[in-house]
Amino acid sequence: MAAGCKDQPQGESALPDTGGTASLDVKYARGFEARTDPQGITYLTIRNPWPGASKEYKYALVPREKLAAITFPANAYDAVIPVPVERLVLTSTTHIPALEILDATNTLVGFPGLDYISSPAIRKKIESGSVSELGANEQLNTEMVLAAAPEVVVGFGVSDAPGAYRPVSDAGIPVIFNGDWMEQNPLGKAEWIKFFGLLLDAGSRAGEHFREVERAYIEARDLATGAPERPTVLSGALYRDIWYLPGGESWAAAFIEDANARYLWQDASGSGSLSLSLEAVLEKGAGADFWIAPAQFTSYTEMEAANPHYRQFRAFRERRIFGYAATRGPGKGLLYYEMAPTRPDWVLKDLVHFLHPGFLPDYQPVFFKPLDP
Amino acid sequence: MIRAKRSFGGFALLGGLLVIAFLTNLSLGSVEIPLSDTLRWLTGGDTTQANWTYIIREYRLPKALTALLTGSGLALCGLLMQTLFRNPLAGPFVLGISSGASLGAALLIMGASLLAPTAAAWAVSDLSLAVASSLGSLLVLLTVLLVATRLRDAMALLIVGLMFGSITAAVVTVLSSFSQAEQLQQYIFWSYGSVGSLSWGQLGLLSLVFLIGSGISIWLLKGMNALLLGENYAVSLGIPIKRLRLWILLATGLLAGGITAFAGPIAFVGLAVPHLTRQLLPTSDHRLLMPGVLLFGGILMLICDTVAQLPFTSYVLPINAITSVVGAPVVIWLLLRRNRMLF
Repeated sequence: MAAGCKDQPQGESALPDTGGTASLDVKYARGFEARTDPQGITYLTIRNPWPGASKEYKYALVPREKLAAITFPANAYDAVIPVPVERLVLTSTTHIPALEILDATNTLVGFPGLDYISSPAIRKKIESGSVSELGANEQLNTEMVLAAAPEVVVGFGVSDAPGAYRPVSDAGIPVIFNGDWMEQNPLGKAEWIKFFGLLLDAGSRAGEHFREVERAYIEARDLATGAPERPTVLSGALYRDIWYLPGGESWAAAFIEDANARYLWQDASGSGSLSLSLEAVLEKGAGADFWIAPAQFTSYTEMEAANPHYRQFRAFRERRIFGYAATRGPGKGLLYYEMAPTRPDWVLKDLVHFLHPGFLPDYQPVFFKPLDP
Repeated sequence: MIRAKRSFGGFALLGGLLVIAFLTNLSLGSVEIPLSDTLRWLTGGDTTQANWTYIIREYRLPKALTALLTGSGLALCGLLMQTLFRNPLAGPFVLGISSGASLGAALLIMGASLLAPTAAAWAVSDLSLAVASSLGSLLVLLTVLLVATRLRDAMALLIVGLMFGSITAAVVTVLSSFSQAEQLQQYIFWSYGSVGSLSWGQLGLLSLVFLIGSGISIWLLKGMNALLLGENYAVSLGIPIKRLRLWILLATGLLAGGITAFAGPIAFVGLAVPHLTRQLLPTSDHRLLMPGVLLFGGILMLICDTVAQLPFTSYVLPINAITSVVGAPVVIWLLLRRNRMLF
């Protein structure tokens, strides 16, 4: 269907005119921007969906009723998508919360790795059989995707070799890349709900949700600036003899800074994970006040059994470690991985609650919990 | 004997180098600890800062000892395999032992998550990894031994070992295709090799394995010298070939399997060190080669670990990368001067 539009050679309304277009208000996110022309067609540009992406991806989102009347030059856009989308395939649990927030849980027809979804509303749909299992990780089972007949597949990539999506797009199903995982600013990452708002024609709902999240986040951040001290924070854990922890420019580090605490590797460049030697971490972090997110550990006993070196850390001895690995949804997946990108305000409030005791006394943490003994 | 005298110089050099390499490995790391502090601690004194004592005693010392045992053990396995198969390209993993260990580790890391997801997170510990990978290499070793009793030809045994390696690799590939990113990552990190994660108890176990393996090898030295002349000549000298072969396989399996269980698969050390040692000690007498290979293997591993620690930075490289960078040129050099090989 959509591929048919792309292949028609000439078009009357081939290129959008700039007069009278409205731009989508995007304040923090750097990976996408959109303009809507007077005819209601939205032109969405995705930038840097993965590190070192060689080009920008341009998509035309056309209102369903106008789809037949509009033609575009072939290859002008990476995909032409009818909106609002009625049959959707998502490929990451970070995309799932948007469906619940924008009241579009009926649109999901398939997902790779159903067991990892935590959202109760979607799990109900899974149990009723309306969502197909499409494989694992980036290996989408092409046949299953085709059988599910989605109108668009929201994919994500990690490099220029799109691999799993080529057969899907060759079969005529539009693939649109979601680059939310590349955003390092917590509010920027959350702002990708507007991306889903465009696809599901729920722009105002998305904007409203984001404004609420932004307000709560800024409120929590301002509250934290009133704290009397700025505690030092350690993160990550050992695997074998290498310590993995977030880089200074990463999304995880941004939360710690916004919670008015000092992440000890704030100055280490890199937005991904750092691999450091145990010695270096001992030297710098043995005296850290708090330890946030110790990888997959959920109890002190577990940590002690895994590696006796942890006893050298003050935060371990004084029992001031908080992690999110114990908070699971009804599925196999961690709630943090699914919900945290969309609700940075809850993450920040969790951190403020633990790092500055007494500042949010009645708040119930959502993701982070103290480790079990 | 004349030969022994000529080799004495080589041994003295190797011994001295080992001490230097050990001290260097102890004193270099991410944290800058002055040499004087390290020496002071070694002679019973105290270091200037308390956590330096902890770093040297609880982290660097076990790491250096593990590197020493691992390097020596793998080099000895390489010698055993090269003599048994009379092939310069044989290494300790030519029988599929590291593939068996990888299978065990893969089953634990990736298989466990498929069967019991929530339990899997804490089931994978250093100890359970060691157990799983030693069981894996034991499985492959037993199968190889079984086949070895029925095969006459050493070359056929080599090929069977390679085929077992392929089978286990295929099973690991299937497991990987079902795994989530985290498990895959854990498995890959295991395959990088690591000498710094052993507790004192595990180090004790590794030493025991090393002692048994090298003990068996000492007993086999005369037979190995005879093997170099060819199997028929060895038989005419009264050496029981089949029994010799089985014991060599057992010693190799024990050493290589045990080392891989604790430190992960370490590439190239077993293959390269016997050749490097033969350059230094101009002899094919295993009674001289074995101690030479043990010393040289330890030295090489200590040097590779020192480099992998990237001293004065906080970053660490996987040790397999360093041993491969050292070992691969050796293999190329070998292929270029094949006409002067002893085999």
